[in-house]
Amino acid sequence: MTPLLEADTVSFGYGARQVLRTVSLTLLPGEILGVIGPNGSGKTTLVRLLSGVLAPSAGTVRLAGRPLTAYRRREVARRLAVVPQDPTIDFPFTALEVVLMGRAPHLSALAFPRARDLAIAREAMARLEVAEVESRPLDRLSGGERQRVLLARALAQEAEVLLLDEPTTHLDLRHQAGIHDVARALARERGHAVVSVLHDLNLAALFCDRLMLLAGGVVVGQGSPEAVLTVDALQQAYQTQVYVGRNERTGAPVVLPLPRR
Amino acid sequence: MSVRAPYLTPGRLTATTAALALLLLASIVGAVLVGPVPASLWRALGQGGTSSADYTILFRTRLPRVLLGAVVGGSLGAAGAALQALLRNPLACPHLLGISGGAAVAGVLALLAGADALSPLVPFAAFLGAIGAIVIVTLGARADGRTTPHAILLVGVVFNALAAAALMLVNTLSSYLQAQGVLFWIMGSLSTQSYTLVAAAAAYAVAGLAWLLRHALDLNLLAAGEEGALQLGVDVERARRAVFVAASLLVGAAVSMSGMIGFVGLIVPHLLRLLLGPDHRLLLPASFLGGGAFLIWADTLARTMLGPAELPVGVVTALTGGPFFLYLLHRDLRRALG
Amino acid sequence: MRRALAVLLLAGCSASSPGPGSSGPPARVVSLAPSITEIVYALGEGGRLVGVCAQCDHPPEVARIPRVGGYLTPSVEVVLATRPDLVIAVPSPGNREAVRALERVGVRMLVVHDRTLADLWTSIARVADALGVPGAGERLVGYVAGRLDAVRTRVAGLAPRRVLVVVGHNPLIAVGGDNLQDELVTLAGGVNVAADAGATWPTLSLELVVARAPEVIVDAAMGSEATGEALFQALPNVPAVRAGRVVRLAGDTLLRAGPRVPDAAAALAAAIHPEAFQPAPTGITPRAG
Repeated sequence: MTPLLEADTVSFGYGARQVLRTVSLTLLPGEILGVIGPNGSGKTTLVRLLSGVLAPSAGTVRLAGRPLTAYRRREVARRLAVVPQDPTIDFPFTALEVVLMGRAPHLSALAFPRARDLAIAREAMARLEVAEVESRPLDRLSGGERQRVLLARALAQEAEVLLLDEPTTHLDLRHQAGIHDVARALARERGHAVVSVLHDLNLAALFCDRLMLLAGGVVVGQGSPEAVLTVDALQQAYQTQVYVGRNERTGAPVVLPLPRR
Repeated sequence: MSVRAPYLTPGRLTATTAALALLLLASIVGAVLVGPVPASLWRALGQGGTSSADYTILFRTRLPRVLLGAVVGGSLGAAGAALQALLRNPLACPHLLGISGGAAVAGVLALLAGADALSPLVPFAAFLGAIGAIVIVTLGARADGRTTPHAILLVGVVFNALAAAALMLVNTLSSYLQAQGVLFWIMGSLSTQSYTLVAAAAAYAVAGLAWLLRHALDLNLLAAGEEGALQLGVDVERARRAVFVAASLLVGAAVSMSGMIGFVGLIVPHLLRLLLGPDHRLLLPASFLGGGAFLIWADTLARTMLGPAELPVGVVTALTGGPFFLYLLHRDLRRALG
Repeated sequence: MRRALAVLLLAGCSASSPGPGSSGPPARVVSLAPSITEIVYALGEGGRLVGVCAQCDHPPEVARIPRVGGYLTPSVEVVLATRPDLVIAVPSPGNREAVRALERVGVRMLVVHDRTLADLWTSIARVADALGVPGAGERLVGYVAGRLDAVRTRVAGLAPRRVLVVVGHNPLIAVGGDNLQDELVTLAGGVNVAADAGATWPTLSLELVVARAPEVIVDAAMGSEATGEALFQALPNVPAVRAGRVVRLAGDTLLRAGPRVPDAAAALAAAIHPEAFQPAPTGITPRAG
């Protein structure tokens, strides 16, 4: 099976500073990959390399078998959707207008959204429970609602690959679970693949099929949550004492930081 | 601020544009009929004939001027809307970017070189100055092949400051009457009698608007964030450059013909965005039509407020636009803090 | 009558500020305005000028005198370098700071005005007084006043014509009321249609030109004749345009409040009442009727 998304020993640096070194990953259809690691480990840079916003200084990124550079931007946008971390939008677009932007890769320059586009947009908003705020301008939404609207926009793109950069920062428990249910449903039902950069190790353990642990720009662990979330690996990567247990209900590992002496 | 539909439909676009077009038409007619000198339309069309005072006043002095106001106001309005999206700043002003400064300096230099104030050489020179400014600002703002809004703004502001200094220098070196010519550039004037000029300007402005409209969707996406736009398939660098050049050419042409008239390109798009929403497929034509109507009325006030003598139209736009701008700024600050 | 006026003014006190070593008539004089330079030469004291402003161009001998900066922007340092005993200036938008600076340093400053004809007589008298040649001042006033009288006499008895004097094309700036140029228009047998516009140099809208219907338009603006023509040709029902009485006045004699004021008056009179001036004096380009 061709991987939907592939990073082949990509590196990236600003001048003398190397942010990522020879990172490789493959993403198969239906997979949910969680990218974890301490601050500054290069997680966001990796997302930007995978989406093509940044060009790697070495290595290639491949989408459905072809190098990203071989695609035109609109083609990439039809197949790959990104939800950025926390953008500010200074213009009073309504929530629905923002979600409709997700249909732009499928529409020509002056075309107006058709009934189908509207239906897709509204369905995405319903899935993320932001349907009631569709007429409200973005600056009047709470942080959590805004984040879910941007997620809805990514869903509206109908892309096979979904890249999420810290999608749960402003979300409460209900919605933290909610969006990952949505992601998992997409993966299972439609064979989409998801890369989710997460701060919260327990969410990662709970929702992702595989994890990739980044530290200092290098991959220090890749595999199932149980395999990656070990005390030694985590203590080395995060430079702090941790406790690793087991969630009795789900069997997933549970990670907690321990107070430092 | 207002309750509006959650998204833009072709129906709403047509209806709103038609309404604004009617407003512009009404403004044109109204402004032609108003002036410091009473003139009767009936007499002009009736027994007076084409050499009567009424005909001359209405159709040889007022109508061309009002039409030029529509074109210049429209150009500034549309360019202002586009630049506000480009710079991701809802309070940006087209004159900030140095283009007007370049046009004014070139125009003044043409005047000093001996060209008559009414010679077509002056607006032509001014237009070349605008293009020069565009080139300098675009090149100056480019780093690593990328032109960010931040860089454009910085280089533009510096260039504008330089142009302002150059104008002051010219002012000091010139005689009293030449200094009056410089005032034309700084405060603006729509006085014209040439239908040819107005027609050419109108064709040019409509072409500029059409070029901007091609990127209307791109502007929506860009306004919502550069990286987001990139990831939604927009060729950001190309779109930015195209919009910047189109908007700048519109501003350059407007300034070449009528000097620096401020606040139109700032207030009209901002206000219409609050009322109609930030979708540029509607906002661009709306700002064009609304800008034209606003400038026509400002010029009408300039012609009539002081009796026989005229105010420069830039004074009226500043006096009406300035306080309104302060109010908007205050509102934005309160909203940001509260 | 004018002579009596001049004597009375000479008898009044002058507003010059005495500086160090100001006993006796000044030997080194700086003029900061073209009109003042002309007055000094007309008084026969051109030899005492050691510095003039850049725009001073009359009479031709002034070319050899060093420049001390512009009429609007005199240079304090260069003025001081000429070691003047007296500096004469006309208030202009740009030279206020320079004049004040020179006064503070202790240079003897004489500031005269040039807005009206009355100012002109006062200026001549005070400059002559400061230079120590009051008699020449009297004679100059008499001479200039006499020539003005001659112009007035020539058009006396002719019905005054409505006149618009234009000094700028874009924006359209006209000679307004309450200034010397307006007085010259009246003296030359005209009625200034823009005299009530509420400003000395009002910007007029074209429709006002149409409404005021001047019979003569004097185009004294800088720039080419062709564009001036084009401007007014578009207003065919204005009497001046219809009768072909759009007259171009070259140069800036009209704007200089100096001893050549009668030349400007004569030029205006010839433009307004051409039938009284055959052949036309130099400096005027009348249009075919």
